[in-house]
Amino acid sequence: MASTGLSSSAATATPEPAGTDILVGLLSCRDAGTIGTVARAVRDGLANHFGTLAARVVLATEGSEGETAGRVREALAGSDDRFEIAPCRAGTALDMPYHGIPGKPHALQALLTRAQALDARACLILDAGVSTLTPHWIRWLAGPIFEHEVDLVSPYYDRHAYEGALTKGIVAPLVRALYGVRLRQPAAAEFACSRRMVDWLLEEDIWDREGAPVGIDLWLTTAAAAGDFRLAEASLGARVSAGRGEEALDLATTLAQVVGSLFVDLDARVEIWQRRRGSVAVPLFGEPHGGGSLEAAAVDPERLIESYRLGYRELRDLWTWILPARTIVDLGRLVNAPAAGFRLDDGLWARVVYDFALGYRLRVLARDHLLRSLVPLYLGWLASFVLQVRGLSGAAVDERLDRLGGAFEAEKSYLIAKWRWPERLRT
Amino acid sequence: MRRRSGVADPLWYKRAIIYELPVKSFFDANNDGIGDFEGLVQKLDYLEGLGVTCLWLLPFFPSPLRDDGYDIADYCNIHPSYGTLEDFKRFLDAAHERHLQVVIELVLNHTSDAHPWFQRARTAPRESVERGYYVWSDTEDRYREARVIFVDSERSNWTWDPAAGAYYWHRFFRHQPDLNYDNPAVLREVLQVMDFWLELGVDGFRLDAVPYLVEREGTSCENLDDTHKVLKAIRRHIDARWPNRMLLAEANQWPADVRPYFGDGDECHMAFHFPLMPRMFMGLHLEDRHPIVEILEQTPALPDPCQWALFLRNHDELTLEMVTDEERDYMYLAYSADPQARLNLGIRRRLAPLVGNNRRRIELLSSLLFSFPGTPILYYGDEIGMGDNTHLGDRNGVRTPMQWTSDRNARFSRADPARLYSPVIMDPIYGYQAINVEAQERDPSSLLQWMKNLIGLRKLFPAFGLGSMELLHPANRKVLAYVRRHGSDTILCVANLSRSVQAVELELAAFAGLTPVEILGYTDLPVIGERPYFLTLGPYGFYWFELQRRDGHA
Repeated sequence: MASTGLSSSAATATPEPAGTDILVGLLSCRDAGTIGTVARAVRDGLANHFGTLAARVVLATEGSEGETAGRVREALAGSDDRFEIAPCRAGTALDMPYHGIPGKPHALQALLTRAQALDARACLILDAGVSTLTPHWIRWLAGPIFEHEVDLVSPYYDRHAYEGALTKGIVAPLVRALYGVRLRQPAAAEFACSRRMVDWLLEEDIWDREGAPVGIDLWLTTAAAAGDFRLAEASLGARVSAGRGEEALDLATTLAQVVGSLFVDLDARVEIWQRRRGSVAVPLFGEPHGGGSLEAAAVDPERLIESYRLGYRELRDLWTWILPARTIVDLGRLVNAPAAGFRLDDGLWARVVYDFALGYRLRVLARDHLLRSLVPLYLGWLASFVLQVRGLSGAAVDERLDRLGGAFEAEKSYLIAKWRWPERLRT
Repeated sequence: MRRRSGVADPLWYKRAIIYELPVKSFFDANNDGIGDFEGLVQKLDYLEGLGVTCLWLLPFFPSPLRDDGYDIADYCNIHPSYGTLEDFKRFLDAAHERHLQVVIELVLNHTSDAHPWFQRARTAPRESVERGYYVWSDTEDRYREARVIFVDSERSNWTWDPAAGAYYWHRFFRHQPDLNYDNPAVLREVLQVMDFWLELGVDGFRLDAVPYLVEREGTSCENLDDTHKVLKAIRRHIDARWPNRMLLAEANQWPADVRPYFGDGDECHMAFHFPLMPRMFMGLHLEDRHPIVEILEQTPALPDPCQWALFLRNHDELTLEMVTDEERDYMYLAYSADPQARLNLGIRRRLAPLVGNNRRRIELLSSLLFSFPGTPILYYGDEIGMGDNTHLGDRNGVRTPMQWTSDRNARFSRADPARLYSPVIMDPIYGYQAINVEAQERDPSSLLQWMKNLIGLRKLFPAFGLGSMELLHPANRKVLAYVRRHGSDTILCVANLSRSVQAVELELAAFAGLTPVEILGYTDLPVIGERPYFLTLGPYGFYWFELQRRDGHA
């Protein structure tokens, strides 16, 4: 077996290693069922692709520390590992429903701090709950850091056209329009970053920001996009998370959390995004995209359209606080549109999202109410999107999403003008 | 525990938007009729929302209050009317949490005659160190060339003290004896005072009346070399111990005379640009850019870390010391037809009444303030267009309670109106029922909302705080145009000083190929070519354009 470059020590208080090229941080919370697999993938990935580099695996875990650490040690046994448990602050109790690792911001901060302390050339962060993680993930996430001097590698998972629609319809086009980078799946739980990116992220004022447990993944990406860095995507195949026993969140809650995190970040980076123009594609590394057979999610456009119509009837008066009259009239036309011809124009959708961002900033309504009132509009967009991409190839779907991103870019001046002079919010 | 200053950026004061306020006037939390630090803490959210980044607090020290606190009786404490030292610490922490820096007053030139140093000096032996804290004379004949500044209330800079059996020197009121910086013990005391406040975490000092620190026979006793030596010593002391703290000099002098207060970047970080302010008002009234351009062209360049502090109005009268006699006459006629508004060599009025409560004039002047090279200072209440009361004595008419709502006492205080330190403004135009924060926060077209937007824009473009300035010279003198540059950023500012529509042709060939993007509305104008660029501006209109190169991703 090739040397992994790992040296052995299972103690939490290990002596400082002589040098570390790559730090692999495992974020774990009740992942005893998957973490062994993940650790073995890390071991093999490092051995197969970075055998000459000095590596260090650091586990940041929340709960069942002994069992989780034991699984990792077991997986790394016999490979002369360096392995430690990062000092993580206890997870902050949240008063909102949330899926993920409690205390994740502090766990991530601890891992990046460790990478900084070790002066690691690359830092790779992995969620230990992913059951489809393979040694190739290590290669494609970390490789561009060493071989192409990339500063942040964001994953690009295989997803069915209807999957991850919130990212496709709001997050990705907004990140593209604002920060000028065409990342298709911002806010991923896995990523790799360079040494200078580690420094940059640790300096960012995001770690203790309100809502960090749900927003941190996205904010790491926007922080990187806001700086002068080289970004890339790694095509990794499908991502399946084993789940941590939580019940699925309802759409309104998920949307409020995701979009709310995005809007909070918007307010904090005004000086950056208002001065940035255009956008660039980022290089893509990794496996050929879309090779696997993806199971289509069951999406019924008729039901989505009906939700939109119902939302329009119920929330129209509330939307008048957020949206200009012209937009509401345009949305009203859709209510009576036949299902087969139901199309929400990209520019109109972009302006709706921008007006919600402005309304959020100006607190024209209670923020949670405002975000939840976006749900029917989002469902309308989703119906329109599904009707347009049904039966299309992966490449054609990508092309359609690229046009959507372009519309968000084209309407950016609308956002900037109203942001700078919000007196005109509803005009 | 040593408290930290609120800022890491050593040039924070160049990017700052400063808000000047008297604690007593802002908000009264204990309802005794006088504003206090607890009240100020309660209003920090308002200030954060306004967008200002630095608070300059007028004097809040123990004082007989015969000159509104500029007569300090104890440098290291809080006047009991405003709270306690603990209240101040809570305020400072709360301000820093909101990323608001705090600058406090330091009256270096003089103390109150109630200060223990002065009381001790009066009875101390003539040649003793204690006596030497102040400037004494057996006659009134020394320093004859020094002018009297407060001509309306003082006839001499000397006042007889029967207890001392000698005259003492004072450049301001007779109850404000000047400290003697020829006595090394005085500088040591002052440095200890500064250390006390810096240790608490304040971010800077506004140094009051700095030109008058040292006296020398045969001179005007202003701007002397030995005064600069004192300031350099203070700066050395601060730089050695307190990184990123700022000194702001009050030197009401011509720009060339103020320039030495920056030294080679080794005296004050900032100084007020006094002569610019009256000329902005003059240019507006004359509908001619000449007074403004003239003073800007006389303004010397500064060492890199230094910055002008700019203001339209402050807690004093609109001073006309730094204008010619003819200009002063013009300003009196133009802006103080009511003699009641005149005080010393100035006009004791707020911004809105000075310009006839004309919203467009307020906006135009504010646009100049926020785009000229320097750090803008906003005087409390001017963001909502508060008025004044010229019938109150001295400069108290521009220091009335902040107008928060249309409720009793403008909701500044729940005390009986008779207990307020000053009556609130109650006239039909500027009274608190008409002008108040609550109403303007609800009104999307209010001056307050406009000011928030302008502050936001100023902060968005570092060129305003950090950049250079080049004046343009179009044929139409009613139009003022200039370019601000910083790094790759170029901002073109154009202002119409007149009440009527104006057309102007600007020589912008140096920027050929760039697209002017109007900053407020983010609107593109035609690309600049080799020929003069034609613009029209509405009455008192102004434009800020970002000159962008449209060549793709930036």
